[in-house]
Amino acid sequence: MRGLRAWFLRLVGLFNKERRDRELAQEIESHLQMHIEDNLRTGMPPAEARREALIKLGGIEQTKESYRDRRGLPVLEHLIQDLRYALRMLRKNPGFTAVAVGTLALGIGANTAVFTVVNGVLLRPMPFPQPDRLFLVSFTPQHGPFETNPSLADSHYLEFRRADGLFERLASFTGSGANLTGAGDPVRIRTANVTPDFFPVLRVNPAIGRGFLAEEDQPGRDHVVVLSDELWRDRFGADSRVLGKEIKLDGAGHSVIGIMPPGFGFPYDAQAWTPLAVRIDSHNSFSRPVVGRLKPGVSRQEAQAELETLAHQLFLAPGEDRNGWVAQVLPLKELLVANIRASLVIFAGAVAFVLLIACANVANLLLARASGRQLEMAVRAALGAGRWRLIRQLLTESALVALAGGASGVLLAVWGVPALIALAPAGKIARIEMIRIDGWVLAFTFGISLITGIVFGLAPAFQATRSGLRESLGQAGRTLTGRHEALRCALVLSEIALALVLLAGAGLMLKSFLRLRAVDPGFHPENVMTMTIDLPDSVYNTPAQMRVFHERTLSRLSSLPGVIAAGAVNWRPLSEALIVGTFRINQDGNPRPPGFMVDKPCVSPGYFRALGIRFLRGRDFSERDNSTAPGVVIVTRSVAERLWPGTDPIGKRISMEDHPKPGDWLTIIGVVDDIKQQGLAKKSDPAIYRPYLQVSQPFFLSHMTFAVRTASDPLSVAPAMRGVLREVDKDQPLQSIDTMQDLIAATTAEPRFQTRLLGVFAILAVALAAVGIYGVLAYSVAQRTHEIGIRMALGAQAADVLWMVFGRTLALVCAGIAIGAAGALGLTRVLSKFLFEVKPSDPATFAAVALLLVFAALAAGLIPARRAAQVDPMVALRYE
Amino acid sequence: MEEKADVWQGTLALMVLKTLETMGPLHGYGIARRIEQTSGDLLSINYGTLYPALLKLEQEGYIASEWGTSDNNRKAKYYRLTRAGRKQVEKEAREWEQTTAILARFLSPKEESS
Repeated sequence: MRGLRAWFLRLVGLFNKERRDRELAQEIESHLQMHIEDNLRTGMPPAEARREALIKLGGIEQTKESYRDRRGLPVLEHLIQDLRYALRMLRKNPGFTAVAVGTLALGIGANTAVFTVVNGVLLRPMPFPQPDRLFLVSFTPQHGPFETNPSLADSHYLEFRRADGLFERLASFTGSGANLTGAGDPVRIRTANVTPDFFPVLRVNPAIGRGFLAEEDQPGRDHVVVLSDELWRDRFGADSRVLGKEIKLDGAGHSVIGIMPPGFGFPYDAQAWTPLAVRIDSHNSFSRPVVGRLKPGVSRQEAQAELETLAHQLFLAPGEDRNGWVAQVLPLKELLVANIRASLVIFAGAVAFVLLIACANVANLLLARASGRQLEMAVRAALGAGRWRLIRQLLTESALVALAGGASGVLLAVWGVPALIALAPAGKIARIEMIRIDGWVLAFTFGISLITGIVFGLAPAFQATRSGLRESLGQAGRTLTGRHEALRCALVLSEIALALVLLAGAGLMLKSFLRLRAVDPGFHPENVMTMTIDLPDSVYNTPAQMRVFHERTLSRLSSLPGVIAAGAVNWRPLSEALIVGTFRINQDGNPRPPGFMVDKPCVSPGYFRALGIRFLRGRDFSERDNSTAPGVVIVTRSVAERLWPGTDPIGKRISMEDHPKPGDWLTIIGVVDDIKQQGLAKKSDPAIYRPYLQVSQPFFLSHMTFAVRTASDPLSVAPAMRGVLREVDKDQPLQSIDTMQDLIAATTAEPRFQTRLLGVFAILAVALAAVGIYGVLAYSVAQRTHEIGIRMALGAQAADVLWMVFGRTLALVCAGIAIGAAGALGLTRVLSKFLFEVKPSDPATFAAVALLLVFAALAAGLIPARRAAQVDPMVALRYE
Repeated sequence: MEEKADVWQGTLALMVLKTLETMGPLHGYGIARRIEQTSGDLLSINYGTLYPALLKLEQEGYIASEWGTSDNNRKAKYYRLTRAGRKQVEKEAREWEQTTAILARFLSPKEESS
C-alpha cells in the first residue's frame, strides 16, 4: 500500500521538474548556509567553513542527482530519454528510416494480413454461447469414393442419440438449396434442414418469433420455416408481419415462424431453415453432420471413448469390420475449417519467412550504420555510459523502427486483407465474415513488431558496443574494413536461403498448377455453355412431368441459333456431387471385380456430342431408347477394358439392381472415352451411362444440367438459354449458368489461389533478398574504395574489379542456395498434399528457382559492381 | 554493496523518524546534526544522503514537509511526523529492539557455554 503510494508519487515526480528542481536547490542552499553559519560560529575562516560544509554534504550535484533518482522513476526516465534520442536519430537519417520502416512494413504487413485470416477462420470462436462445448459426432470412411466431411449416417445418428449419455442434446442437419418464389423474382437460396433440436443445441434463438417445436419434424406439420435476418431484409423489407405468412420453397408453402438474429447463418451461410425428420426406410443412405453440446464437466476424450464403444456395439453388425472407418468427436469449427487449415498454415509459414528476410535486411542496414556510429558509441562510453545502457539505447532505436514498421504494416493489412480474400476462390474460405482486424490482430502485430525489433536489433547492438574504448577513439573516426563482414555475410546468406525455400515452394506449386491445367478432361470444354436447374418434387412430382420439362427444354435449346448440339446430364462432369454405385454382370465366370464401382450418370441423346466426349464404338442413345424400349447403357473405355479385356463389350448385359429381375438387364450399345468426373487431379472414373428416358426414380431426374455446343462464343447464347427456361417454366430459377471452361476453372481455383499467394510471397522474398545483397555489396564496395583504387593504380582493369564484385556475389548466392536447397528439401514435403504429379523434391524446379535467384543476385550486384569498376584511383587514394 | 546501503537506508530512516518524534518539526540540516549529536558523534553521515531518504519517507507518507522560517530568519523546509509516521516509529523501534535482543544473546559468551 505504502509502496504503491510511493510509486504513484514518483510517477507524478516525472512532471513539473523545473519547480521541483528549484525547491531542491533552495533547500540545499539553506542547508549549506545554516551549516556555514554554524561553522563560522566555531571560528572557522569563511572559505574553510564553506569547504567543510560542501564536503560534509558530499557535493551539491551528487546530492541533487541521487535526490532526483528517488524523486522520479529512473527506468522510465531513461526510456523516455532513449525514445527521444532514438526519434532524433531516425529523423536525422530519413533515408535509412524510410528503407527500414518500409521493409518491415512489408514483412509485418504480410504477417498481419495472413494472421487476420488465420485468426478469423481458425482461432475466433464460433459465434454461439459456450462454443467450446459444441462437438461434431462423426463416423465415416477415411478413404475411397465415400470419403466425406465429418458426419453420421442417419441410422447411426438415431442409434447414437438413443444410447448416448454424455451430450445434453444432439442435432443433425444438412445444407441444401431451394427455389424461393412469391417474394420478388424466383431465386435460389441456401437452406438448411435441421432437426428441431438444432437451435437449442447451439443455444441461439430466433430474434423474432420462435424456433421449431419437437413435433414439427412430422409430415404435415413440417411446413414451417425460419428466415435469416439477411433474407428477411432483402426479400421481405424487414417487415415483422411476415411472421405467420406463407412463402413458397420449391413450390411448397411454408409458414414463416421466426427470424434469426443478424449474422447467424450456420451452417454454410444458410438463408432459411426448415425442419428435418430423420426417418429410417430402406432407401435412406443419408449421411449428415451431427452436432452435440456436451454436458458440463464431460471432456471431449470421454465423448470420444463413448463414441468408439458405441460405434463398435451399435453401428457394426456382429462380425462386420469396417476397416478405414473412423469414429471422431471433433470441435464444431472443424466442419468449416478442416479443408482450409493446411493451406493457411503453409501461408503463415511463408510470411514468417518473408518477415525473417526483412529482419535480416534491416539488421544489415543497422550494422552498416553501426560502423559509422562507432565513434559516437566510444564517446558516449567515455562519458560514462555503461554498455547495457548503450545496448538499451540501440534496442530502443530498433524497436522504434519495428513499431513504425508494424503501424505501417497494419495499414498495409487493412488494404491487404480484402485483396487476400478477393484472391481466394469464392466460397472456399469458410467463416469469411469472421475475418477482420480486431484487438487480437493488433496485439499480434504489436507483439511481432517488438520481437522483430529485438531480433534484428540485438546483434547490431552487441556489435556496435563491443569495440574497446581506446581502439575506437584511437581510430579517430576511421572505420575498419571487414569489421562486421562475417555477420553481414551470414545475414545475406540466410536471406538467400530463406528466399530459395519460398521460391522452391512457389515453383513447385506453379508447376503442379500448370500440370493440372494441362490435364485432358476427356471432352472438349471449349464453346460449351451449361445451365443447371433443380426441379422441386413438390411441383414436378412424377418422373413423367420432369421428362416433359426436360424434353421441351432440350428441343428448344437445340433449335436456338448458333447451337450445334444440345444435351443434358444429371450430374455434370467436374461437379461436386456424384453418384457412384455397384452393378451386376449377366455372365458366368466373369464376376465384377470386388470394390469396382462406377459413376451412373443419366444423359439425354446428343449429350456426348454436345460435350465432345469421344465415341469409341457402337451408337449413341436415341429418342427411341425410352421407357417402353429394351434397356440400354453406354460404358466408358475403362469399364470395357476392366470387364471385357480384349473382347467387344457391345451386346453384353449388366444390371444396376442388386437382385435383378429379368426385365432389369440392360444391353451395352456403345463405348465412350473416360472423362474426369470428380476433378482434374483425380483419376478418370469408370462410368456407365443410362438414357434418362429409361430412368424412373425422381432423384435421378430432378437435378439436370443442360449443355449446348455453340458455333461461336458460348456466352452469346446465354440470354437465349434463360429465355428458353422462362418459356418452359417461368417459376423455375436457374441454379447456375456458366461456360464449361469457367466451371473447369472453378475446380482449379483453390490451387490457383495457393499458387498465386505463395508466388506473391516468394517474389516479395526475392525482392527483399536482392535488396539485401545490393546493400552488402554496395557497402563493401564503398568500404574498399581505397583498396580498389590501389589495385587499379597497380594495373587492375575495370573488368577485373567487376569480376571481383560479381565473384563475391556468386560465392554468396551459391552458398545461400546450397543451404536453402537443403532446407527446402526438408520443408517442401509439407506441400506434397497440394502437389499434382510433381514430387516435392522435383530437381527441375529446384534448378530453375536456383537459377532465378542467381540472376536476381547478379542484377542486384550490377550497380555496386559498376561503381567499383568506375573507381578513379586518384580520387580513391586522395580520399584518406 | 547494495545490501549494506539498504541496511543503512533502513536505519537512517528510523533515526530520522525517531529524531522527528522527539524534536518535533525540523529542517534537514537540523535532523542531520541531531542524529550526529545523538550518536555521540560516533556516526558521521554524509548529509547529502539524508535528502533522498527524507523524500522516500515523504513519498511513503510517514512524514510531511512545508516551508517555514528558521530561528535565524532563514527560509527552510521543515519536516514533521504524520500519524502513519508515529505508528511506523513504534513498529520499527519494536522490531529493532527484538533484533538487537536476539543478536545480543548470540554475542554474549555466557549463554553459549552449555
